[in-house]
Amino acid sequence: MIELHGVTKVVRSGAGELTILHPLTLTIEAGRTAAITGPSGSGKSTLLGLIAGLDAPTSGRIVVDNVTLTRLDEEKLARLRGSRIGIVFQFFHLIPSLTALENVMVPLELADRPDARTRAESLLADVHLSDRGHHYPSQLSGGEQQRVAIARALANNPAVLLADEPTGNLDSATGRQVIEILLDVNKRKGTTLVLVTHDPALAAMADVTIRLRDGRIEEADGSRRGGERGSGAPASDEARRGAGDPAV
Amino acid sequence: MFILRMVWRETRAVWRRLLFFYICVAIGVGAIVAIRSIIQNVRVTLVGEARAIFGADVMASTSRPWRPETVQAIEQFLQGRPVQYTSVVETSTMVRPEREDRPAARMVELKAVEPGFPFYGRIELESGQPYRHALLADGGVVVQRDLLLQLGIGVGDRIMIAGQPFTVRDVVTREPGRQVSTFTLGSRVFIDLQALRQLNLLGFGSRASYRTLVKVADDTDAPRLSRALGRAVRDEFVQVRHYRGTEAGINEDLARAEDYLSLVGFVIVVLGGIGVWSVTRVFMQQKIRSIAILKCLGASGRQVLGTYVAQMALLSAAGGLSGVLVAYGALAAIPEYLVALLPSGRPDLTLSASVQGVAVGLLVSVLFALVPLLETRAIKPLLLLRADTAMQARRRDWVAWASYAIVAAGLAAVAAWQAGSLEASLYVMGGLAGVGLVLHLASSVLVRAVRPLTRARAFAVRHAVISLGRPGNQTRVVLLTVGLGAFFILAIQHVQANLLNAFSLELSDDSPDMFLIDIQRDQEAGVRALVDGRAIEPAKLIPVMRARVVGVAGRDVNLEAYDDVRRRGLGREYVITYRSHLEANEVMQAGELWEGPVPDGGTPDVSIEEGIARRGIGIGDRMRFDIAGREIEARVTSIREVDWSEARNGGFMFVFRPGPFEDAPRTFIALVRAPREPAARAALQRDLITSYPNVSAIDIREIIRTIQGVVQNITLAITIVGVIALGSGMLILIGAVAMTRFQRHYEAAIYRTLGASTRRLTAMVAVEYGVLGTLAGLLGAGGAVALSWAVTTRLLEMAWEPAIHIAAIGVAATAAVVLMVGLSASLDVLVKKPLGSLRGE
Repeated sequence: MIELHGVTKVVRSGAGELTILHPLTLTIEAGRTAAITGPSGSGKSTLLGLIAGLDAPTSGRIVVDNVTLTRLDEEKLARLRGSRIGIVFQFFHLIPSLTALENVMVPLELADRPDARTRAESLLADVHLSDRGHHYPSQLSGGEQQRVAIARALANNPAVLLADEPTGNLDSATGRQVIEILLDVNKRKGTTLVLVTHDPALAAMADVTIRLRDGRIEEADGSRRGGERGSGAPASDEARRGAGDPAV
Repeated sequence: MFILRMVWRETRAVWRRLLFFYICVAIGVGAIVAIRSIIQNVRVTLVGEARAIFGADVMASTSRPWRPETVQAIEQFLQGRPVQYTSVVETSTMVRPEREDRPAARMVELKAVEPGFPFYGRIELESGQPYRHALLADGGVVVQRDLLLQLGIGVGDRIMIAGQPFTVRDVVTREPGRQVSTFTLGSRVFIDLQALRQLNLLGFGSRASYRTLVKVADDTDAPRLSRALGRAVRDEFVQVRHYRGTEAGINEDLARAEDYLSLVGFVIVVLGGIGVWSVTRVFMQQKIRSIAILKCLGASGRQVLGTYVAQMALLSAAGGLSGVLVAYGALAAIPEYLVALLPSGRPDLTLSASVQGVAVGLLVSVLFALVPLLETRAIKPLLLLRADTAMQARRRDWVAWASYAIVAAGLAAVAAWQAGSLEASLYVMGGLAGVGLVLHLASSVLVRAVRPLTRARAFAVRHAVISLGRPGNQTRVVLLTVGLGAFFILAIQHVQANLLNAFSLELSDDSPDMFLIDIQRDQEAGVRALVDGRAIEPAKLIPVMRARVVGVAGRDVNLEAYDDVRRRGLGREYVITYRSHLEANEVMQAGELWEGPVPDGGTPDVSIEEGIARRGIGIGDRMRFDIAGREIEARVTSIREVDWSEARNGGFMFVFRPGPFEDAPRTFIALVRAPREPAARAALQRDLITSYPNVSAIDIREIIRTIQGVVQNITLAITIVGVIALGSGMLILIGAVAMTRFQRHYEAAIYRTLGASTRRLTAMVAVEYGVLGTLAGLLGAGGAVALSWAVTTRLLEMAWEPAIHIAAIGVAATAAVVLMVGLSASLDVLVKKPLGSLRGE
């Protein structure tokens, strides 16, 4: 479960203060998929970064999987990300000096898992990349890189999987493949999935859609509007069906 | 484990980019290991041969003829003890070939020995036969090869020593304790002691050293015997020493030399460290994203820092080990003629030098890498989502300051360890910090000075200057290191130019260029007559006596015994004279010079040189002198300053008022302006020693040539250091270009897309490095001019002239080298097709 209570983000820029997120209260139930949409500069990525513990809110409280992020220091946040939060980026962000397999192994090694190599191999098999494990990122296509990134994000069976425009840098067919994998993980393992996307079709597949504009929630489809206590509501049957339909 | 695995993976992927890191460490370590190994080899050899060099277990020596009572005391002491002893006398004199058709005459160092000589060590002869005293019997001598060459004679020919003929029986190739490299007045000639005594060479005023060598049955007795003999002799001018003291002395001197010279290596390692710092800095900039990813995946700051510190340590260790190989190669590559100067022969690598070198390389490079590595702490994983947060200007927090302090303290500690002295390390660190600061400020000023060129009309110039200020530029680091290298080389060239200039000036002016010494009173008129008409102007004869200070009764200083005098630094023998005028090279500092001789019954007056005055002696003090066995008390009435660089007109620490010495035994020295033509010069020397065999002629021109040779050797040594420093600078330059290659590829691609031709891009790069090189050259030349001024005028106290041509050549050469290196390192940027670069980004 992801909870945000009165979360704001204000940055100091040259001219003065700029409010990126206005007070925001939001709950995403465990096992759900949520899509965050909105125009450029609406605060989507900032919101995702806050949930990932990559940045600290100016005020408010964030709880992910029963851990209050806002109380943790940088090192504890890193450990939390390693064990409970998986992140997939638009630009993949694989470590260029490591092979695909080694990229997947890193979070397992950080968690001191003795079976790092075998588990990484099976994760790569899950994303159909068994035969590309020894390739470096520069030798992989965009879709392949993103699949490696997903395998890496799932390495430690995170409770929460965050994806920042995961298909933004891919052609539509490859993008669809990636989406299938993400939704499949959600369905099979009950991993809470939060997507930031521009793509209305993709957003429609989520249980919940949170539309941001100028740092405020404009509309929370399937959930109650933010501002007071809110919780994610079950998404429509159409959206769920759509998730399994590659034609959407 | 995670850290080690990451180190391996990272190194596997990026080792090529870190090659410069590796080379920087290797060169510095190589320098330390080579220097230490050479000196340790020499030390082991010399200490091992200490007794052979010393020639005895115990030795009594004096620089004045033995007093009969001293000889008696020594003989009494040694007789009845289980020892052997023998006497040696060394003196210098002139020799010439017996044959009249050879007009040469040469100064030699005579060593007169008895049958027991040598107790230790071996005299090696060119003929291969063992040395025997019989070779010296019946008018035989053994000489060095170069004397035969100088005189144009061979083995079996005869030479004239003090008017007597001697037959050259063999050529000595090696004498224990006498190195080819040692400065000597002349070639060695071995002669029988009895034969020397029959020559008229040890008479009054001659300079000779007298030694009694003692060999004991059990060498552990040496120190005790030495002390007992010292007590028994009770002659204040006799020194009794034992070989173990010499051994300890050699050991200590060389250990100190090793430590101080290792500082040269340390400085090179620090230059390498600067390279390490710059490579690490750029490397870390390129690693920002990977580090953010690692942090995003849950790696702690400590794990990330640990990974890169371990990686740098691994590379440093590898670089250090290659440095040992470099040193091995360097030792093997020393040319034969230089090896011949080392008593140890070709030096081997020593374990202790290798271990120290690798350890210093590791410590220094990790310390230097630490500063940029600590910046990984500031990398936020958020930058993966928002690129604008990549590198926020970060305040230097206390951790950063503490790390700088630790790095500085660490470097000082390594320097102190290397120098074996905290003081020396603080000087070196202070010097480095000072030079670094000055170069840093100067490079800021220079970079600012060319900034107006960013509005230049020429495209290439405009963009080249903009490039110098591009983010992540290495301009200052390159200026610092290349400037430092140029500075070393130019400074020593500058000092050398001034030194050689000074000497050649003195050779061309109207000063005397030949000294005649040991002229006896009855030879004064004869020598004068012989020289007149052949020399350029009449000879100037100065009466001289040899004296020792034996006591001082003064306001500030009171020295009762000779031992006190020696401790004051006044213990040596002085050559003194008397006259009633100042010479051209003298200036009166205090007091007044007397007029005329000392009145009957009056106290003698003495004028002292300011060097003596600096030891606490002033006007009005009374000094006691031992002059040829007679004690004279004199009152100090004036203090003179002598310009020693003009000392060919004579320079004396003590000048007496005439009077008391009219009947005293004295000799004369003559200052002669000898003819310039070598043949006439040689003939004059030959005729002089034919008529006056005891007189020696010292040819200043030859001595100056020797000194010029020494200056050139020292210059060569320092130039090598400068070349290594400049080499480090070049490496850093190449490293800087290579490290920023991706950015340059990208920029070049954009310029090309916008229509820039290869020629234009090349011009841009050329101007950029041309400007950089010129700035570095200006820095180096400016520093060199300042340093050479300081060294020449303050340290050497000589006239200084700016050697403009050296500075100009230096600036041009530095600019050219940097331009070439920069251009060739950028070649691939200039030829790569733009699309690949743009896609790659």
